[in-house]
Amino acid sequence: MKNRDSLWSLFQKREMSRRSFLKACVTITGMLGMSVTMLPEVIEAAEKNALPVVIWLHGHECTGCDESFIRSQSPLVSDVIFNMVALEYSDTLSAAAGEPFEQHLEEVMEQYDGQYILAVEGGVPLAQDGIHCMVGGRPFVTVLKEAAKGAAAIIEYGSCAAWGGIQAAKPNPTKSVSVSDVISGKPLIKVPGCPPVPEVMTGVVMHYALFGQIPPLDSEGRPKQFFGNRIHDTCYRRPFFDAGMFVEKFDDAGAKAGWCLYKVGCRGPEAYNSCGNMRWWNGLSYPIQSGHGCIGCSSKNFWDNDSFYQRLPNIPVPDAIADADKIGVIATGAAIAGVAAHGALSVVQKHKRTVKAQEDNARRLQS
Amino acid sequence: MKRVVVDPVTRIEGHLRVEIKVDEATGKVQDALSSGTAWRGIELIMKDRDPRDAWAFVQRICGVCTTVHALGSLRAVEDALKIEIPKNANYIRNIMSATQTAQDHLVHFYHLHALDWVSPVEALKADPSATAVLQNIVLEKYRLPFAGPMNFDFDAYPKDFPKATTLYFKTVQEKVKKVVESGQLGIFAAQWWDHPDYAILSPEVHLMAVAHYLNMLDRQRELLGAHVIFGGKNPHPHYIVGGMPCSISMNDMNASVNSERLAVVDTSISLAINLINYFYLPDLLAIGHRYVQKGYVDGGGLAKERVLGFGDFPDEPYTGISNGDFHKKLLLRCNGVVEDFGKGVDSAIYYDIDEKNLVDPAVLNEGVEHSWYTYPENGADIHPWDGVTNPEYTGPKEGSKVQWKFLNEEGKYSWIKTPKWRGKMAEVGPLARYIIIYTKVKKGLIEPTWAEKMVVDQLEAVSKVFKLAPEVWLPTMVGRTAARGLDAQLNAYINKYYFDKLVKNIRNGDTAVANTAKWDPATWPKDAKGVGLLEAPRGALSHWVVIKDGKIVYYQAVVPTTWNACPRDSKAGYGAYEAGMMDTKVKITDKPLEVLKVIHSFDPCSACATHLYDAEGKELSIVHTDPYFKD
Repeated sequence: MKNRDSLWSLFQKREMSRRSFLKACVTITGMLGMSVTMLPEVIEAAEKNALPVVIWLHGHECTGCDESFIRSQSPLVSDVIFNMVALEYSDTLSAAAGEPFEQHLEEVMEQYDGQYILAVEGGVPLAQDGIHCMVGGRPFVTVLKEAAKGAAAIIEYGSCAAWGGIQAAKPNPTKSVSVSDVISGKPLIKVPGCPPVPEVMTGVVMHYALFGQIPPLDSEGRPKQFFGNRIHDTCYRRPFFDAGMFVEKFDDAGAKAGWCLYKVGCRGPEAYNSCGNMRWWNGLSYPIQSGHGCIGCSSKNFWDNDSFYQRLPNIPVPDAIADADKIGVIATGAAIAGVAAHGALSVVQKHKRTVKAQEDNARRLQS
Repeated sequence: MKRVVVDPVTRIEGHLRVEIKVDEATGKVQDALSSGTAWRGIELIMKDRDPRDAWAFVQRICGVCTTVHALGSLRAVEDALKIEIPKNANYIRNIMSATQTAQDHLVHFYHLHALDWVSPVEALKADPSATAVLQNIVLEKYRLPFAGPMNFDFDAYPKDFPKATTLYFKTVQEKVKKVVESGQLGIFAAQWWDHPDYAILSPEVHLMAVAHYLNMLDRQRELLGAHVIFGGKNPHPHYIVGGMPCSISMNDMNASVNSERLAVVDTSISLAINLINYFYLPDLLAIGHRYVQKGYVDGGGLAKERVLGFGDFPDEPYTGISNGDFHKKLLLRCNGVVEDFGKGVDSAIYYDIDEKNLVDPAVLNEGVEHSWYTYPENGADIHPWDGVTNPEYTGPKEGSKVQWKFLNEEGKYSWIKTPKWRGKMAEVGPLARYIIIYTKVKKGLIEPTWAEKMVVDQLEAVSKVFKLAPEVWLPTMVGRTAARGLDAQLNAYINKYYFDKLVKNIRNGDTAVANTAKWDPATWPKDAKGVGLLEAPRGALSHWVVIKDGKIVYYQAVVPTTWNACPRDSKAGYGAYEAGMMDTKVKITDKPLEVLKVIHSFDPCSACATHLYDAEGKELSIVHTDPYFKD
């Protein structure tokens, strides 16, 4: 294997103009949600930094994250895997199989020691030394630990890798846990979602490709640029919530009119994700737009909260259709106050659930 | 005799290992085993959940055939609670299912299977202008020009034709060359590119196929419009028990479904038809034809002996599955078993599968002779509604429990159970569907629907191209791959058919998508059980649910890959993967590309197959019964 290319050297090799390179940098800057003042930094990074080598491992998962990844539109997945990163190991996309494939993994880990990005899809089963997920005749947890040693950064792609996922739901028969439950001492980025919005993942990869460092993270380890809002904060049905206009049951007149789904079960008020602003399929829709409440698939242990059709407790709801004129007069102030009050409540609620989850976890490990 | 291991089997869903014993002198595979190497426990996790949530949980069995488990689950819960869904919801669910199958097959052919046949290295030797000429020939010769049942055809002309210019193929070749020259092969690294099988196709075919591989990687996402409009996203779109959540309104500007959003679905459906007709089928038949000309009619295995299907696409709403109404309303009646198709359709024997057979423990059951589980009564197989969980991991034959050398084919070696029909093994999947429909129509057992007639026409058209009888080319590795392509075309047209029905029904003033009369668990019976059937992209799928006091007490899914990838049984013989591998010759024992090809021809989805089997109302005791349990 020869030296890796930077984005700029790649453009030069392909005899593409400086102009088209700069245009690509502008696109990338916009895609990462950065201000135009960041453009010079993006260009500099794209000129200098080598394309990162990516190793993609599969643990306890359903491959839905992979499928989501290949639905990325901006950038298109073909551009990502053939131009932006060197995807050297992927169970789903790689041509090779068996021993030569495993040998290739070893070689890549050795050659790019300390430099590669490790993307992990799936939870890590720990019961009985991890024999519930074997890869190449060895437990996945062993393979993961080896690959993590030389990684520059690790992406926990999807809710399984980030939180343990569905197999970790009660009673967690295989004692499946998140990647960061078994790996430490490395930069870890959580990209939760079941699956995550594809452009969120490709955006995270691009950030690393350009800046050579992981994106700014929130207190849970998620990139702020994609997980900074609750679904509720950017929901196009939010005005109906504020106005007290609710779907009372599926397919009623309110449902047809696109009113708020809170009363038929929506976890938007406590789910941090990009569905509301980025949406799916290049902005076409997201579950709420298609009439179903948010199930909070990016939230920790979301499987073990109440039924998806139970309304969230402790969120004050206007119970009558408000006077539209009145709403108009106090619009801005009320909306801001609403967001603040709402935010505080969801933090309290979230805290309650976290404590509960910790207790559950402790119980599970003891049993 | 040499023992060769392929682990992991890549370009599949989930974790799979195969081992073969090959006679080095003849290349004959003497024995083969297939092992599902992961196990997640989703069915156990279903216990005590709200049945209205079940679809979302079991959908996560698989993100590749995403949607099919959700649909199977909804059908099972609705069967149990006796809920009939509205017409629109039935059409939309059929659209979701057909969309899934058409898209999934296309991705399988290009991105999960093609690199077994097609090499980027060979593509470098091609003459781009000769490739352009070849492209035109392929389009002329290998297209299957079926018109489909169009009522509302908004497609002015086929929007997507393969490019047949020298410059196009030159550009792709340059791109591939740069990847190869960079030394960083990425996803193309470490494959057995020097295997002689890659020389079966000309360099021009390789270049054409690599170009389409790249093109389809970008286009496949566009086929999923229906999932995103009706279900909010893909993978894992959203549903509700009793219908669909996506309200339809031509009056309300925020409605989930209106004219503009139906147009998105229509565009997506038309695109699928075009991509399948002008890329997928011509590429498939051009490659397949070359292979059968070269005498590659192996890899059929069990397909020649026995195939099974459950049937699908209820044309109109039905009142239940276990009461028999479902099977009366099907568009695609591949519910049944065909034995001995390898001897020709005249000698083939057909057996029906109806609602009574489904719930009969003598007809459908599962065994664990070679699976890492034990049953209370040794050797007695159990019907899916009465399943028992007693996992017992026994490790490999050689190596340690955390470092396998060889698995133990005499003992237990897989997390997959062995499902049986009347004590026998059967293959499921597009190949099975095609054999069953063809046999039923040819034997005059059914008056074909338009879709069933299309199945027969497709098979006869391909037989003409290959100049071989269906029983020669169909139950083979090439035939299994070809049947998937034909099934993609069929499903693309089925999609259009239900879209037309949906539009017509809305035009008649019906906009209902959900029946919420039994939404409240207080309206449910105290005890209920149901079954949900579906023809998933990979074959016959059944979900089984038992509900008590508004909660799930027992859940079971018998999935297509369980049928195909299951371990052997001393009475019933080999499963479809194992029989398929043993029906294959291997040229170079250390590089068993042919075996990889056979396994890929099934489109393995092994996370589906290695789910957990639970006993009704039993305390979770799996970890404690295991002799290796340490914690």
